[in-house]
Amino acid sequence: SCSRAKDVTMPAKLPVNFFSTRSPVIDLFRGQLDYADHLRQDSEIVLYFFYAPWCGQSIAAREEIEHVASRLSDQVLFVAVNCWWNQGKCRKQKHFFYFPVIHLYHQSFGPIEYKGPMSAVYIEKFVRRVMTPLLYISSRSKLLDFLSNYEPGVLGYFEFNASPQPPGYLTFFTSALHSLKKDYLGTIRFGVITDKHVAEEISLVHSGSVYLHRHVNTSLIYPNDIMNYTAENICKWALENREMLIRWLRPHGGKSLLLNNELKKGPALLIFIPYNPLAEIHPLLDEITKVALEYHNCNKSQAAEPDPQHLGDTDSPAFDSSVLDARMKLSETFSITKYPCCNTVVLPQWHSISRTHNVCELCINQTLGVKPNKVHVPHCNFLEIEAALDSFYLQEHTFFQVISNTIECSNFLSFYSPFSYYTACCRTVNRNFLSFISSEKTIFQTPKVAFSSHGKKDNTRHSIPHIEDRNCFIPDLHISGANITGLSCRTNKTLNLYLLDSNLFWIYAERLGASRSTHLKEFAAIVDLKEEVHYVLDQNQSLVGSTLENFIKNFSILYSPLKRHLVDDSSVHFHEQRVITEVTTNTFHDTVFLSEKNVLLLYYAQWCGFCASLNHIFIQLARLLPPDNFIVARIDITRNDLPWEFMTDRLPTILFFPHQRKEQSVKFPEDFSVNLPNLLKFILHHSSLSSSEPCTKECLHKETVLQQGHISHLEREVQKLRSEISALHQAHDQLEAQLSEARREEHRLQQQKHTLEKQHKTLQLHSEQLQATYDQKNQELLEMAEKLQELADASENLLKENTLLRILVASREGKLQSKDEIKEALQSEQILSEDNDVSVSTTTATLEEKRTDNIDTIETEHSGGNRTE
Amino acid sequence: AMAVLRSLGSFLCLWALRLPAGTGAAARGLDVASYRERVRAMFYHAYEHYLESAFPYDELRPLTCDGQDTWGSFSLTLIDALDTLLILGNVSEFQRVVSVLQEGVDFDIDVNASVFETNIRVVGGLLSAHLLSKKAGVEVEVGWPCSGPLLRMAEEAARKLLPAFQTPTGMPYGTVNLLHGVNPGETPVTCTAGIGTFIVEFATLSHLTGDPVFEDVARKALKALWKNRSDIGLVGNHIDVITAKWVAQDAGIGAGVDSYFEYLVKGAILLQDKELMSMFLEYNKAIKNYTKFDDWYLWVQMYKGTVSMPVFQSLEAYWPGLQSLIGDVDNAMRTFLNYYTVWKQFGGLPEFYNIPQGYTVDKREGYPLRPELIESAMYLYRATRDPTLLELGRDAVESIEKISKVDCGFATIKDLRDHRLDNRMESFFLAETVKYLYLLFDPDNFIHNDGSVFDVVITPHGECVLNAGGYVFNTEAHPIDPAALHCCRKRKEEQWEVEDLMQEFYSLKKNKKFILKRASDNGEGESAKDPEDASSEKGEEKRNSKKRSHSLLSCPSQSFNSKLAVLGQVFLDNT
Repeated sequence: SCSRAKDVTMPAKLPVNFFSTRSPVIDLFRGQLDYADHLRQDSEIVLYFFYAPWCGQSIAAREEIEHVASRLSDQVLFVAVNCWWNQGKCRKQKHFFYFPVIHLYHQSFGPIEYKGPMSAVYIEKFVRRVMTPLLYISSRSKLLDFLSNYEPGVLGYFEFNASPQPPGYLTFFTSALHSLKKDYLGTIRFGVITDKHVAEEISLVHSGSVYLHRHVNTSLIYPNDIMNYTAENICKWALENREMLIRWLRPHGGKSLLLNNELKKGPALLIFIPYNPLAEIHPLLDEITKVALEYHNCNKSQAAEPDPQHLGDTDSPAFDSSVLDARMKLSETFSITKYPCCNTVVLPQWHSISRTHNVCELCINQTLGVKPNKVHVPHCNFLEIEAALDSFYLQEHTFFQVISNTIECSNFLSFYSPFSYYTACCRTVNRNFLSFISSEKTIFQTPKVAFSSHGKKDNTRHSIPHIEDRNCFIPDLHISGANITGLSCRTNKTLNLYLLDSNLFWIYAERLGASRSTHLKEFAAIVDLKEEVHYVLDQNQSLVGSTLENFIKNFSILYSPLKRHLVDDSSVHFHEQRVITEVTTNTFHDTVFLSEKNVLLLYYAQWCGFCASLNHIFIQLARLLPPDNFIVARIDITRNDLPWEFMTDRLPTILFFPHQRKEQSVKFPEDFSVNLPNLLKFILHHSSLSSSEPCTKECLHKETVLQQGHISHLEREVQKLRSEISALHQAHDQLEAQLSEARREEHRLQQQKHTLEKQHKTLQLHSEQLQATYDQKNQELLEMAEKLQELADASENLLKENTLLRILVASREGKLQSKDEIKEALQSEQILSEDNDVSVSTTTATLEEKRTDNIDTIETEHSGGNRTE
Repeated sequence: AMAVLRSLGSFLCLWALRLPAGTGAAARGLDVASYRERVRAMFYHAYEHYLESAFPYDELRPLTCDGQDTWGSFSLTLIDALDTLLILGNVSEFQRVVSVLQEGVDFDIDVNASVFETNIRVVGGLLSAHLLSKKAGVEVEVGWPCSGPLLRMAEEAARKLLPAFQTPTGMPYGTVNLLHGVNPGETPVTCTAGIGTFIVEFATLSHLTGDPVFEDVARKALKALWKNRSDIGLVGNHIDVITAKWVAQDAGIGAGVDSYFEYLVKGAILLQDKELMSMFLEYNKAIKNYTKFDDWYLWVQMYKGTVSMPVFQSLEAYWPGLQSLIGDVDNAMRTFLNYYTVWKQFGGLPEFYNIPQGYTVDKREGYPLRPELIESAMYLYRATRDPTLLELGRDAVESIEKISKVDCGFATIKDLRDHRLDNRMESFFLAETVKYLYLLFDPDNFIHNDGSVFDVVITPHGECVLNAGGYVFNTEAHPIDPAALHCCRKRKEEQWEVEDLMQEFYSLKKNKKFILKRASDNGEGESAKDPEDASSEKGEEKRNSKKRSHSLLSCPSQSFNSKLAVLGQVFLDNT
């Protein structure tokens, strides 16, 4: 049975439901791919979610998919297929290297793989794009909206007359789907114009022509004559010629060179904003795009007369000067360290009537309340944002008071979940940014805002002073007089501009030094990989167009006032027991240069094995050195940047800054082993304790202080020695106890030995006796044998006699045939002799048995004796 | 060979394309606390069933709910899991097990045991339990950490292994009989790791007990391997310990070799030993030159350097963690991300993975719940705080729970293609896999102590600073406190020297000049010659002439772009 148990194996557990049975997602957990294909006929749009039940990413994405499904289930069929189970069709036919895989079908077109973030809002946005790859542009205002978007746009003009579909329309439609396949972030938008007059606005005359809109460069029309009019070609042409003024960076999480490739192109401005792809308007994004556009707008800057109407921007953008103060105030009052998830919300009532937007940043903040322990909840949950939005709108009336000339934040309890709080920070943004366009061929007038005598309007006007000089935002920074328009062509420090969604990629902002105490997840930094520096937009300033412009300008000018940003580890916590001073970027100067002590500074990193194993030596050192004159400090150099001159390229590095000569720091020589005597010698050699000045009162005082220090040191030493002695005493006692124990044990063993010896002797005696009895028995046996022999001889004699008698009988038979009586007597004698024979043989057998028995007992007793010995 | 390489190259390039999608939820952070609790529950599920159904056997058989002896007969799982109990914070069970082991384990048994496995699991487990016992509230002897019952047990077990080292080369046999020594007719062929994986435990033993024999045999074996490396600087897989001829000439970083390289680095860290480090750095150069292809490490012929197997082994996944210890974090992360893609394909790491084919290798499809990739994730998380590493932890918890959890414990996955289970739960599951997972999800664990807290212990040998962090894990994940080594062997002369020097701090006039002692190559200055006769200028000159670009016992500080090297982003060197 033992060997059989070794071969016991067990097949994998049978697959079970991955999605709940009530879910809008059809869960083919047995991997029925054929059925999945069959289902495709039922719906125009199908989303396949191929998962493996053991896969963490599939489990994490499940909830997101479920949410998207609950919102779109009436238009899209959601099918989940277990593509791991090895009996299932899916596993047999498909070969995935990772899970989950999301495939989308628009009727027969597909599969379109979704490779974006596994977040419900992004997935939903993508699904919606697959559902309607073409936007229907029916009017001039819609065209305006379409063109003003920061993402590249492709427009096709098709005349829908009598025939159901104009020639080329289907190809155009397919190319829109194609672009989703190629460019899974969906950055190129496709639109279709059916109205002749609208088409004329962008100089499209012929039905079937395709137009690529570009903000800075000339817009293009698809060259039908050069390239074949196919879906692939249109898509390729758009991808190749699109304008990338500002790019979203969305690392997919796997190994990738995305940042490497982008940042190697040159200095980059990374802008982090919270982004909800489903939101209809993105005021902050529009503002940033405007800056980007201006920055790249080289032709424009050459033009002598900027068209005043062009952007509908005769007023200078309006912002509140008090924003800055308000923010600083806020960061003091709210010490909430981290919001896992934020979204920008535009208050709906306002944007229709006002020239300003009241933009609120809404953050879910669970840290305030108790959170029930859930297992799979990703931090930025779509559901929660949704719920927060609902609560927010419900409580909107409270924000009418809030909306004023400052950014204000409030916490409020969620309407739906008692465990969550939300924080909303609101401010105003000029509405003009939302409606700018800059196509060179089109000149529109911004729709005039009609100020009706709406009740709320006056209040608002009152509380929002719009016109401000934008420069007064940043009083402490030098601002170059240069205009940002077309700056990218005029400077030799051209920036590439990138956007990152701070809901997904805030970690990069934190790495670049985004303050953990801010409650707005907005951040901008210029990263120069080649120079190994980065600059950060002052986080006390709000991230708006003007601050960004100034940031860019300050970077571009010859003697840039920007300072290299040093990332500081603010998470350092202080232990009471600490004998080594932990230095950070912020405390470096004070601790090392301003302290009136000798400073020994260790550069280390927690991950470096060679540093961590020296901890105990530095702790000992810090405990030994007189604390009045010495500081033993260390700095974690991976979390704290230092000015160039204090950087080091190897870890650990030990620097000594002698008191009064701090600028003459010395490095502990690298080829010496780091131990206590060496460190002490090194310090003694370089410390400034030995002053050979003539002894004055001061010196005497110094001397006494020193001696007092020495005395206390010696006292400590004596204390230590005392405890050492007591430890030795204890050890001594312990040893003594062990010794006496051992003695007792020895004694006991001795006694045991004696008894054993005695036992041994008795056993020996016994064995001798046994030997004797054995000999005796042997003798007896021999005698018996002799007797037996005798008996045998006797019986043989008898037999002989018998035969003799027989012969006699035979000889006499003839003679004495008639004498019956004699014959009978002879017969009885023969029987008697046979009986005798049998009894002899049985005695021999019993004797032999007895003998072996005896030997056995002797042997067992012998071995028993040995064991006890 | 060129053709092989070229075609291989194109396959390797393809790898960049097979990238998984979706940062999604992970980028926004996992619920670390809840995963930590799930790991804890995993531990107790396995541990309690071991105690119930398998103790005192070595291992639990999870499918049949019984036990078996595998590497000897020492209740191996219990010894191996002991320090995990403390890391999980279970002090009372730790104390109970210590007393159980003291009474129940006997090494005077007629058992043929693997020298390597007995060292890393039994000696290593007992040593770390000994060093942690005070922290766990066990009442210790006065002489602790230089004496104690668990230390004596470790020493006893180690002494049983010493006969294996009695060979002409100093390289040990692979197997030894605990009662009779090396069996007559024992094979002289030992794998490289079986020769070079002793220095951490044996040097610790020597430093704690004062008997140099352990460290001496371990060093001798290491040097013998070093002497027998090939002209291009590689070592093979198996060697004859009598004749020093290489029997298997595959060179790589995985099975059969792995912990040799690991112990060169960890020995160098533990003992501040430049010689060991310089050996490793030489090997590292050869490994990069001959076996590394686009962040994968392949197997090559040790003399020619030609690729013999384009295979990734599950055991190789320790390498990124090792790299991070010496500061090569960028390369470590890149290799880690490659290995992680294999996990994502199967829900575990197959013993062998054919890189060009992108699939498992025949007969090597199993995953016995090995810890190596998780181990690397833990080290790298310390260095980068990259959420991708927590994601691997999440995937490991989900996979192991979904695939291998059975009523009686966690079963080895016999075949990753169909997730069939085998009737075995190796002792390293509780010693390593669970421990590293827990530590990944518990950044405040005492094991991660960065030196901001420590203990002061008075011993008869003087005052010691202990538990100041910097724990060195042996290859079975048993942590060793480097400060303890310094504590017991601290010589009286050093104490007096320190005392003399301290006098100087309290006198206004300096009496002597202070010149630093040059470190001997063996690390802790064995030859304590008086350097004071050499004048300081001369010393300076010598230093300059000898000066390397940097000390061997140091890490490079991280580059600027490492700030952004998270969530899968990697950067290419400018060189």
